[in-house]
Amino acid sequence: MLHFALREAGRLALGLLGALLMAAALAALGNRHVTDGVLPFLKAWGAVLGGLFQLDLGHSAISGGGVWDELATHLPLTLELVGEGLVLALLVGIPVGFLFGAGPARRAAAPLAQALSAAPIFVGALVLAYITFHVLHWPVAVGTEVKTSLKLVPHTMPELREALLPVLTIGLAGAAAAQLGLRRATVETMHEPWRVQLRRMGLTAWDVERAYVLPAVLAGLFKCLGEVVLALLSAAAVTEWVFGYAGAADLFVKSVALRDWHIAAAVLFVFAGLTMTAHFIGTCLARSIADPGAPTPW
Amino acid sequence: MVMTVTGQPLQSALATVLRAAGWIGLALIAVAVSLSDFLANVPADTVNAGPLLGPPSEVFRFGTDVLGRDMLSETLHALSATVRAALPATAVTLVTGALFGFVAARLPRPLALSLRGLIGTLSAVPGLLLAILIIGLTSRGWASVAAGLAAAPMAFVQAFERAGTQTRAAHSEYARAAGISAVTLLRRDLIYEFTQTILSSAARALAAVTIILSTVSFLGFAAEPPHRDLGLMIAASKGYFLDAWWTAAFPALALTLLILFARLAAGLDEGERA
Amino acid sequence: MSDVRKPILELKDLSITRGGVVELERLSCVLDRGETLIVLGDDRSGKDALLRLLGGFAQRADEIAGTIKLGAGDEQPAARKMRSPIRTVYLPGIEQAPFNPHVTVASQLARVVARRHESPRESGREELRIALERLTGAPPFETLEQKPSALSAVMLSWGLLAAALAQSPDLLIADHAFAGLTPIEIKAIVAALQAEQKRAGFALLYAARGLQTAANIRGRVIVLRQGRVIEEGDFDKLASGQAHAYTRTLFRALARPGEALPARTTRGEPLLQVHGLDFRAPGDRGPKARDGLSFELRRGASLALVGEEGSGRRRLIRALLGLQPFVSGRVVLDQVDLSILSPAMTARLRRRIAFITGADDALDPRMTLWDTVDEPLRAHLGLSRDLVAGHRETALKRVGLASHDGRAAVATLSRFDKRRLQVARAIVSAPFLAVIDEPLRGLDAFAQTIMKELLDDLRKQEGPAFLIVTADVGVAQALAEDAMFFKAGRVVERGPLREILKNPKDEETRHLIEAALGQSCYKTP
Repeated sequence: MLHFALREAGRLALGLLGALLMAAALAALGNRHVTDGVLPFLKAWGAVLGGLFQLDLGHSAISGGGVWDELATHLPLTLELVGEGLVLALLVGIPVGFLFGAGPARRAAAPLAQALSAAPIFVGALVLAYITFHVLHWPVAVGTEVKTSLKLVPHTMPELREALLPVLTIGLAGAAAAQLGLRRATVETMHEPWRVQLRRMGLTAWDVERAYVLPAVLAGLFKCLGEVVLALLSAAAVTEWVFGYAGAADLFVKSVALRDWHIAAAVLFVFAGLTMTAHFIGTCLARSIADPGAPTPW
Repeated sequence: MVMTVTGQPLQSALATVLRAAGWIGLALIAVAVSLSDFLANVPADTVNAGPLLGPPSEVFRFGTDVLGRDMLSETLHALSATVRAALPATAVTLVTGALFGFVAARLPRPLALSLRGLIGTLSAVPGLLLAILIIGLTSRGWASVAAGLAAAPMAFVQAFERAGTQTRAAHSEYARAAGISAVTLLRRDLIYEFTQTILSSAARALAAVTIILSTVSFLGFAAEPPHRDLGLMIAASKGYFLDAWWTAAFPALALTLLILFARLAAGLDEGERA
Repeated sequence: MSDVRKPILELKDLSITRGGVVELERLSCVLDRGETLIVLGDDRSGKDALLRLLGGFAQRADEIAGTIKLGAGDEQPAARKMRSPIRTVYLPGIEQAPFNPHVTVASQLARVVARRHESPRESGREELRIALERLTGAPPFETLEQKPSALSAVMLSWGLLAAALAQSPDLLIADHAFAGLTPIEIKAIVAALQAEQKRAGFALLYAARGLQTAANIRGRVIVLRQGRVIEEGDFDKLASGQAHAYTRTLFRALARPGEALPARTTRGEPLLQVHGLDFRAPGDRGPKARDGLSFELRRGASLALVGEEGSGRRRLIRALLGLQPFVSGRVVLDQVDLSILSPAMTARLRRRIAFITGADDALDPRMTLWDTVDEPLRAHLGLSRDLVAGHRETALKRVGLASHDGRAAVATLSRFDKRRLQVARAIVSAPFLAVIDEPLRGLDAFAQTIMKELLDDLRKQEGPAFLIVTADVGVAQALAEDAMFFKAGRVVERGPLREILKNPKDEETRHLIEAALGQSCYKTP
C-alpha cells in the first residue's frame, strides 16, 4: 500500500510538474506572437519559469494586480462552490448510482441517465432557474449582478435562496459523474466469476454483496473522484457565468477574452492541480479498500 | 461451467433498439439540417418577422423573440450551424484522440509514456476551458477545431488505456516472441478496435464536441451573429426566458435532443464514460 | 459409521433439458457413503448439468425430470430446490477463478466455513485451520493469509479442499477441482483427500475432463457423452482396452510406462547451441548451475524440459529466445550468436519460432479465426491474398477447423479449438523451432489424444525442432526423445528420455516420473 501510494504520489508530482510547465508556456506564449519564432518564445518561457522559482507569478495585464492577489480574491468562491457541489454530488450520486446500478431499475436506468445527462450544464442551470422562479417564486437573477462571495453555511432564507441555485447546478453535474462511476464499477463486478463461485461454495447472495461487491463498488466510486472534480470545475465555469459570481472559473473566461495570459495560466494550473490531487486521493482511497495485492507470480 | 446471466438477451435487445433510435434521431436531424433553408420560413436573423416576444401561435409555432425573429426558423438555422460546426470537430477528436491514442500506445515505451503523461495532464483540465483557451490563442474561426482538440484528450486516454491493456496481454507477448512487429500489432488494434467501433466513437465524440461547442458559444467565444448557433441563441434569451420561456426552450430542446441521439447512437454501455 | 453401506445418492432416469437442448438423458446411478464416483466427459457431456442439480444451483432454464433420493430421505422428484437431509459441499477448481482478488484467501474460505456452520467467522477460521492441518502435505494456515494473486494454483487448491472438508460433507462434489495442477501436485492432494475420505466416510463425486486426476483417484467411473452414459465401470477395467470405441480413444490420452519414443537415428544440423548459460535474471541470487548450462538442439530434434512449476524452465526458454536478459553464457540460434544481434534482427530471427501453449490467452481474442492464421503469412512473407487463403485452408483442414466460421472471433472458440488454432498458426509459419508449453493442459481426454496426434503430425510434416515445457512426463514421452529435468532453477538430470525413464538417477526425476506414469513403475531403493 505504501509502495503504491508513493508511486501514485510520484505520478502526481510529475503531473503537477507537467501542468506547471504547460501553464508557464501559456503565460510565455501570451506575451508574444507565435510568429515571432521559437527562440523568443523559449526565452519568454524561461523567464516565466525563472519567475516561478522566486514565487513571482507575474502580473495581470488588465488590472495590473499580482496573480497571487487575483487568485486570492477569486479562488475561494470557486473552491466553495466546488466543495459544496462535491458534497451534494456524493449525496445524490451515491444513492442514485446504487439504485440504478444494482437495483431492479438497472435496465431502465441506462437510457434514463442518458436522457437526463444529455442536457448541457448551462441548459440545466436555466431550467433550474426557471423552476425556482415560477414554482418557488424566489427571486432569480441570471447574469445581472456580480457577487463575489457565497455564504458557506447559509443562515438566513435569502442567503439560502442565493446559494441554492449555483450549488444545485454544480452538484447535479457532479452527481451525474459520480453515479456514472458507481454504475461502471457495479457493471464491472457483475460478471466476475467469484460472484457465482463463492455462492456455490455456500455463501448467501447478501454475504457476497456486502463483503465483496460493496468494497469493489466503493473503490470504483473513489477511482472516479478526479472525474467528478473535473465535472464540478467545468460546471463551475458555466454556473459562475450564468449566475454572475466572480469566481476563478469566471476569471479564467474573462482573462482569456481579454488575453490576460498570466491569469489564465495560473487558473489553469490550479484547476489541473485540483483534478490531479482529487484523482490521487481517490486512487489511494480505492486501493485501501480493494487491493488486489502483488501481481501473480506464476 | 459457464453461467449464462439470465436476462442478458433481453438487455442486449433493448440496447439495440436504443441504438437504432439514436441513429434514426441523428438521421432526422441530418435531414432537418440539410433542408433547413427550405423548412425555415425566413432566412436567418430576419428581424421583425413578427411581434416582439410573441408566444407560440398558429403562425409562429415556436413564438418570436425580442427582436421579432421567428423562433422556428431561427432554431432550424441555429441547429444547422451547430451541426455544421460539430462535424469537423468530431473528425478532429477521432483523429487526434482515438486514432492517435492507439498509435501512441504501440510506440516505443518511453515515447508512449511521455505522450500519455503530456496528454493526461491536458485531460485534467475541463474540456470547456481548454476549448476557450485554444480559441483565445487563435480566433473564433478555429472554434470547431478547438472543440475537437478539447474533447480529444479524454478520447486519447481511453484509446491509449484500451490499447495498453492489449499491449500488456499475454497474447501480445507471444506475438512479439514469434517476431510479430509492433506495426502488425497496431494493425490489430486498428482493425479490431478502432474501425469496428468507429461509428460509435464518432457518435460519442459528436456528443462531446456538441456540448463543448454550444457551451463555448453560450459564453460568447464561438459563433457570432448573424450566424447564430444554439448556444448563442440560448445565451441571447438569458434576459427574457423567465417571462418568455419559448425563447430558450426550443433551442435548448433541439440541443438536448441532438446530444441525446448522439449518445444513444454511441450505444454507451452502462456506466461507460459519456 | 454404522450405515456405511447405505447409499447417499440414488438417481433414477434423471434428464435435464435447457432451451430445448437435452443436456443429460435418463441417468441412473447410485453412490454409497464413502464411495467415489468419477464422471468423465467433455464440456458438452452433460456432467455440468448433473453438477448444477446436485450442487443446488440449477437454473430456471433447466427443465428437470426423474427422481432422486438423498441419504435417508424419501425418493422425490428431482427439481431445482429439493429437501436434502445430507450435507452437500461444492469444491470448485482453481480454473473457475473462485476468489475475490481483493481479500485474503483465508478470510474468504473462513467465511464460507462459518456460513455453513452458522457460526462466527473466528470459529470458521479455526475449523479451516484444523482441516488444513489434517491434510498431509498442505501448506500451513498462515500461507493462506495472502491475497489470491500471491499464491500458486496448488496453494489455492489446498485451501479450497480444506474449506470443503471443514464443512464436514456427506457428499463432496468436486468440479474439475484439481485440473491445471501438475502430476506431482495432483498425486499429493488426491492422497490427502482420500485419507480424509477414509476417515470421515463422505462420498466423492469428481467431475473430470482429463485422466490425470482420475488415474490418481481410481475407483468407479462413468463416461458421459452427449448426455448419455456410454460406459460405466472400474477405472482399471476401462483403461484395459476392452471398452467402447469412444472410451478407448479417451484412454489413449493416458500416459503409460514404456511408451517413450525411440532415439532418433538421423542427426541434423545444430539449430540451437547453448554454452555455459547462467539463465538467472541479472541480480538474482538464486542457486547457480556450477558451470552454466550447455546443450545443443539439432534441427528436427525434440527436447523436453521437465520440472515442477517455478523450476526455471520458462526462464530458460525466455533467455534462449532473447526475450529476457541473463547473467552469462552464449546462445547461438541458427548459426547466429544472439548477443551480437540488434533487437530488430532478433525479432526477425524469431519469425520462424512457433508457440503452442496451454495458456488460453496466447491468441488475441479479438482476432477472427482466419486472421489468426493469416497474420504470419501476411506480416512476414507478404503473400498475395490467394496464396494466403490457400495456405490457411490447408492448415485449418489439417487441424480440423476448416468447417468453422472463419469470421468468428477467437474469444468465441472452445479451449480445444483455440489450442488447434495455435497449431494451424504454427503450421503456416513454417517454423524451425516450436516451443510447446503444457500443450494438453485443461483439455478433455479426447482432445488430448487429438492434440498429441496434431503435434506429432506437425513435427513429421514441417519438421521443426521441439522444445517442450511440461511438468508431465507423460507429455514428454509422447513428444520428445531427449529430456532435461529441472529442480529449483538447476538441471538435475539429462539425456535420452527412454534411458532416464528406465533408470532415473535423481530423486526429483523419480518423483516426476512416478507421479505421471503411475505408482508401480519403480521400487523405491
